[in-house]
Amino acid sequence: MASGAGSVMGRFQYRRSYRLLLLVLAGLLLLSAGFAVTAGPVPIPMETAWKVALHKAFPDWIEMNWSQGRDRIIWDLRFPRVILGFLVGAGLSVVGSALQAATRNPLADPYLFGVSSGAALGAVAVIVHLGDFAGIYSLPIAAFLGALLSLALLLGLTQRQRTLAPERLVLAGVAVSFALMAGTNFLIFLGDQRAAHSVVFWMLGGLGLARWDQLWIPAAAVFGGIAWLYLQGHRMNALLMGEETAVSLGVDVNRFRISLFVVCALMAGVLVALTGAIGFVGLMVPHIVRMVVGGDNRRLLPACALIGGIFLVWVDVLARVTLAPQELPIGIITAALGSVFFMWMMRRGN
Amino acid sequence: MKKLHALLSAGFLSCLAAGPALASGFPVSVESCGRTVTFDRAPTRAISHDLNMSEMMFALGLQDHMAGLTGITGWYKMTESFKAAMGTLPELAPKTPNVEALLSVNPDFFFAGWNYGMKPGGPVTPDTLGTFGIPVYELTESCIHLDKNRPRVSMDTMYTDVLNIGKIFGRGEQAQALVDGWRERIDAVKAARVGGLAPRVFLYDSGEEKPFTAGKFAMPTAMIEAAGGRNVMDDVETSWGRVNWETVADRNPEFIILVDYQNETHWQDLWSFLEGHPAMSVTDAVKNKRYLRLKYAEITPGPANIEAVEKLAAALKGASG
Repeated sequence: MASGAGSVMGRFQYRRSYRLLLLVLAGLLLLSAGFAVTAGPVPIPMETAWKVALHKAFPDWIEMNWSQGRDRIIWDLRFPRVILGFLVGAGLSVVGSALQAATRNPLADPYLFGVSSGAALGAVAVIVHLGDFAGIYSLPIAAFLGALLSLALLLGLTQRQRTLAPERLVLAGVAVSFALMAGTNFLIFLGDQRAAHSVVFWMLGGLGLARWDQLWIPAAAVFGGIAWLYLQGHRMNALLMGEETAVSLGVDVNRFRISLFVVCALMAGVLVALTGAIGFVGLMVPHIVRMVVGGDNRRLLPACALIGGIFLVWVDVLARVTLAPQELPIGIITAALGSVFFMWMMRRGN
Repeated sequence: MKKLHALLSAGFLSCLAAGPALASGFPVSVESCGRTVTFDRAPTRAISHDLNMSEMMFALGLQDHMAGLTGITGWYKMTESFKAAMGTLPELAPKTPNVEALLSVNPDFFFAGWNYGMKPGGPVTPDTLGTFGIPVYELTESCIHLDKNRPRVSMDTMYTDVLNIGKIFGRGEQAQALVDGWRERIDAVKAARVGGLAPRVFLYDSGEEKPFTAGKFAMPTAMIEAAGGRNVMDDVETSWGRVNWETVADRNPEFIILVDYQNETHWQDLWSFLEGHPAMSVTDAVKNKRYLRLKYAEITPGPANIEAVEKLAAALKGASG
């Protein structure tokens, strides 16, 4: 997968330059986040935006000379939104690269496995038929359960086989995805206009539901998931070298694949439950990062997390300002960028 | 299309021949989203779509000229008065009708709108029904989905439809009297208005991640203005669309219209969502609990708009003080 990028890879062959890259990326992330909280449909001067943050940290130092509404917009809407954007971008990119290793399929993506269709099904079921069963957490919980349903179906479909062939996994994922999509569309058909409206969110995503008191959920899922996957880096590398090599290196290929898969589905399920389906990020970012740092998963995953996070923070800025005061669903932009990226890859491949 | 075209030119010629003396008689021509539709006689087997357009038909007492309704029970509960006005008229499709459902009653007229029963490029359009010789009149508010250069919405947007339906059914005078009465009531609302700034109003239909609301070309913008307020989202170049919370909160609405989908909990959910939203909860409207529930038929172009404007004006008086 990373062949042909050897020359670029060579430049970062040394540990030190890789660390430097991570440092540069972390710096870029802070700058991007710093800019992202000042950008939005409501024009608020950059200075005010940062004063709001400083005021929260040191209330005595800075005098509050802005309205309470703007204070809430900056601190309670934009800050959690930018952080959620980072978490989603990082999480999806890491899940994408892990799935690509698990299936040895460069086109593996969290949404290829029906996670988003499952989440949409859960959410629409609540909107149309079940109603609120857990207050404001009803939709995320239902979406998460839907994502788990897609995982259960997938594992059920592939369990019978002795060996979990990657191609079968991909095919089973597509089948599950279509089945759940049919269910979702049927519920939309039965439901009222609100169901049809809300499904746009679940299909195309958006970060508008970010709130401080909910951020710990995606943070725990993303950081926990990345840590676990990072520790499995060498086993993922073994898997990529081929099943026989992996077995000879002492990896129980089937069990490892399933556990990789469960972790990825849990991470993607949590993210989809909060932000809807944001496609192509998990597909596109790992490819770009592999060109830079090479195919070693222990180097790939942290870089993926940072670059994916920065990428989504910027895409969300575009989503918010392009058509202000209307807001573009973020999935439209990621899909547009993703398709351009793949066309470029194809031309480059020729 | 050919048939319609023949119909049109025949109508046009006979208009010329008859001269202005027979202006209220047939054939009559009305403009519908930029098309001219001509009728040689009043339709006798009309179909209307959705609550608001059916109420326009009922306001003119056209039940005898109708063969059915579409798009009512699939989305809303009927009110008792609607049910009474509907009488024995059948509902041909609970939601968006297909061509077959319409043809089943052998209709000679269809009253619907874009995204109100018809979709651009969809199976039911003036073109597709034209091939069956069924003329279509389109809801004026909805023309924005075909032509982005429409004038901004006003109360006339709704009056135009009632006057045109009156013309089509040979009840032009009755329609004119109805509209004159409505104009008087709206003028009375305006006269009763106290001076000062127009209160900032936001209409909240649905949506949590992004709110779905009425923009520059949707009926509520005209209604809010008639009631003496200003829609804070009246610069959005669409009829109905999604905006973002940040902008709504920053424009600090003083009053909020909640759309009541007649399932009792919907508007309460909307209100508790606003109270729990970090930025919306500090807007004047939410802090002072100033809101009004309006039903779907009241915020889409139709006779119910008039009473809704009166209700809104009364409610806004408190908000502006």
